[in-house]
Amino acid sequence: MNLSLPPILALLVFPGGLFLIAGGLIYQWADRKLVARFQNRIGPRFIQPLADTLKLLAKEEITPVGVHKGLFFALPAIALAAALTAGLYVPLFGFQPASSFRGDLIIALYALSVLTLTMGLAGANTISRFSLVGATRTLTQLFSYEAPFLLSLLGPAIAAGTWQISEINTYAGQNLWLMIAQPIGFVVAMIGLMGKLELPPFDAPEAETEIVAGAMTEYSGRGFALFRLGKDVELIIGLTLVSAFYLGGLANPLEFVFKTLALLLVLALLQTAFARLRIDQTVGLWWRAGALLAVVQLIAIVLGRNLGSIF
Amino acid sequence: MSVGPMISDLLRSLFKKPATELYPFVKTPAPIRLRGKLIWDPTNCTGCQLCVKDCPANAIELIVIDKVNKRFIMNYHADHCIYCSQCVVSCRFNCLRLSNEDWELAAAQKQPFAVYYGKEEDIAHFMEQAAKTDAERA
Amino acid sequence: MAADTNKFVIPIGPQHPALKEPANFEFWVDGEIVTGASVRLGYVHRGIEKGAEARTWTQNLYLMERICGICSHVHATAYTLGVEKLAGVEVPPRANAIRQLMAELERIHSHMLWLGVAAHEGGFDTLFMYSWRDRETVMDLLEKISGNKVHYSANLLGGVKFDITPELAAEIHKGLDFLEERNHFYMKVVTTDETFIGRTQDIGTMTTEKAEFLGAIGPTARASGVARDIRVDAPYLIYDQFPVKVMTHTSGDLHGRFIVRINETFESIRIIREILDHMPQGELTTRVPRRIPAGEVVSRVEAPRGELLYFIASNGSEKPERVKVRTPSLCNWSTVLSLAIGLKLADMPMLLSGIDPCFSCNDRSISLKRGQQGPQVWSWEKLRQYGIEYYR
Repeated sequence: MNLSLPPILALLVFPGGLFLIAGGLIYQWADRKLVARFQNRIGPRFIQPLADTLKLLAKEEITPVGVHKGLFFALPAIALAAALTAGLYVPLFGFQPASSFRGDLIIALYALSVLTLTMGLAGANTISRFSLVGATRTLTQLFSYEAPFLLSLLGPAIAAGTWQISEINTYAGQNLWLMIAQPIGFVVAMIGLMGKLELPPFDAPEAETEIVAGAMTEYSGRGFALFRLGKDVELIIGLTLVSAFYLGGLANPLEFVFKTLALLLVLALLQTAFARLRIDQTVGLWWRAGALLAVVQLIAIVLGRNLGSIF
Repeated sequence: MSVGPMISDLLRSLFKKPATELYPFVKTPAPIRLRGKLIWDPTNCTGCQLCVKDCPANAIELIVIDKVNKRFIMNYHADHCIYCSQCVVSCRFNCLRLSNEDWELAAAQKQPFAVYYGKEEDIAHFMEQAAKTDAERA
Repeated sequence: MAADTNKFVIPIGPQHPALKEPANFEFWVDGEIVTGASVRLGYVHRGIEKGAEARTWTQNLYLMERICGICSHVHATAYTLGVEKLAGVEVPPRANAIRQLMAELERIHSHMLWLGVAAHEGGFDTLFMYSWRDRETVMDLLEKISGNKVHYSANLLGGVKFDITPELAAEIHKGLDFLEERNHFYMKVVTTDETFIGRTQDIGTMTTEKAEFLGAIGPTARASGVARDIRVDAPYLIYDQFPVKVMTHTSGDLHGRFIVRINETFESIRIIREILDHMPQGELTTRVPRRIPAGEVVSRVEAPRGELLYFIASNGSEKPERVKVRTPSLCNWSTVLSLAIGLKLADMPMLLSGIDPCFSCNDRSISLKRGQQGPQVWSWEKLRQYGIEYYR
């Protein structure tokens, strides 16, 4: 669907900005509710993520001793800004991306990585030992899943012959679902998404029972709320990207809701089924299995295209 | 070695009712032997005060109005009580029991926790005496 | 525990999401590898042994029960066994059978609780939720029998308070069938789930010799092949009529401890079924005098965490002279501190919970005699002043 809104409106209000934040809160609720239902519990009520955010915004923000004050205040804002910017280029809520140009796949992924980098920096900024360990783990995890995840998103890009997200979206909508055509890539993309979002079993960077809250231990009040909003926005953008590429493109809001929620259901199931992986096990898994699978998928695509052109 | 042996259970849980009991909208009936609030029946009480001696938490106080006619008042401190039922066993005349209906004992003031058991006229008499001594002291 | 002082120290405690009770662990880490560990206990010291000297024998029964919430019945049982021995009283066999039944139900309760907590420490929240949901069954059974879900107060000096009626026995059988089926499922999860095995296998491996050297007891030692169980070595209650099989495992690592505890749960279920089917008839109590004759006694029972030891001294009056409690968790700390070195930081919470620590049980006071100093007696004021100065 095409919506021609001026980019600044798209960034701040619809479909980015406030609408995206609201969507992020709804998806956080859906994720928590699904995980709870899998664990035979009731789960939070619908208004809970909004209530959490409002409560955090109303609380006192404590600046710990020994931090660089400017960085301490700026980093959460940069995180949320990066996440919102990435929303400009993906087919959010089924509408055409507000801004589209060649190579915007790289820009969108880079913006999401900036989010993770700012969280790592925020952890390294303080002198709290839990934050430092959390920051190390965040950055280690960033280095480990980034390459296979990028390669898995490259597969549809090669198939569509372009680096522009809106064109890949259109290509996916017109051809056979890439989930069937590139199954290995789909698996790597889905697991990679869990690593990117730091969902269990890849939640070693914010392991509650080991390092309290990881990089975000010292944050409270407004800073913490902004980081969490950034993560929710990342959730919805990540789901949009993977379902747009692999689940047959997002042509309208109805398709958006169905496909992203279906993907969220599978992610919630995977979240609850496993124990947490240690950070060295995560790195080992990704650099061995993840990268290998992604490369195998790429070779299969290249062979497929060339063999196809021969016949 | 399998990956995710819990997955079948998880999928089934999606369609089952959650295991949470929606108290206070749903209250399952308490078992018969539940140890709730202490209840004293003064009819058979001889004033031996074994319950007072044996209570680990000093929650029972027996006030003697008239020992010969066996008129006593029991002052039960529900906030001290640990609901162990030792007093129930210590009493040889079966005067005490722990209720299984009265167990929602939370209160916002101290006053509900000072429970007086006994005959109506005895308690009224005792309260008068207590008020008189307070007035004399003040 | 020599540690390089310019390495990183990660404090786990006194307040930490990994701990259910306060204790201060300090791990020296180099990156993610732990190079040293130390512990400070004593945050939950409540002065129970001193309080026991001011209460009568009957009142102490309930005080000892409240040393711990999850092993409350075995504390009370150890105490009454000691007092009954001092008084020279023979308890009717039906009372002992009911005590043993409650103790084994409590063991099932404790092991299922532990399974959930250890899984939570490893990030496996789903197993935590499921095992705690199923633990509600055994709590409901205990409530139906005794009237309370924790602190059952089943014991009296000289017997038990309540009887097991045939309807209750039928309900217990039904509950046990459900628990057995669920525990088979948890055994399957624990032994076959890849991620879980990756977190528990070869972590904290302790050979049999090392376990004996460090003085480990309970399921922690039994997972390393040390076949010690007070229920078999020195049977109390009616364990000689309904004997238990000692469950050991050879691997000695964290995985072995899971397997041993789930096996013990099966064994407890079996014993309870046997007791229910062959319950001895008779009375429930026998008379115990108010003044216990003078003497000293040591009473040992097998708590879910290991050997629990009570030393009771009486001087012939209504109040005890001295009650000393040595709980099993205290013996297992040295295993954690020595096994922690070389492991990764992420393994620390699981290693800590692998010994099933019960901090509330732990904190008794010990007196150290340094050099030529004789014993000192401190008044309350002096102790208070010392505490204020120490934290200034």
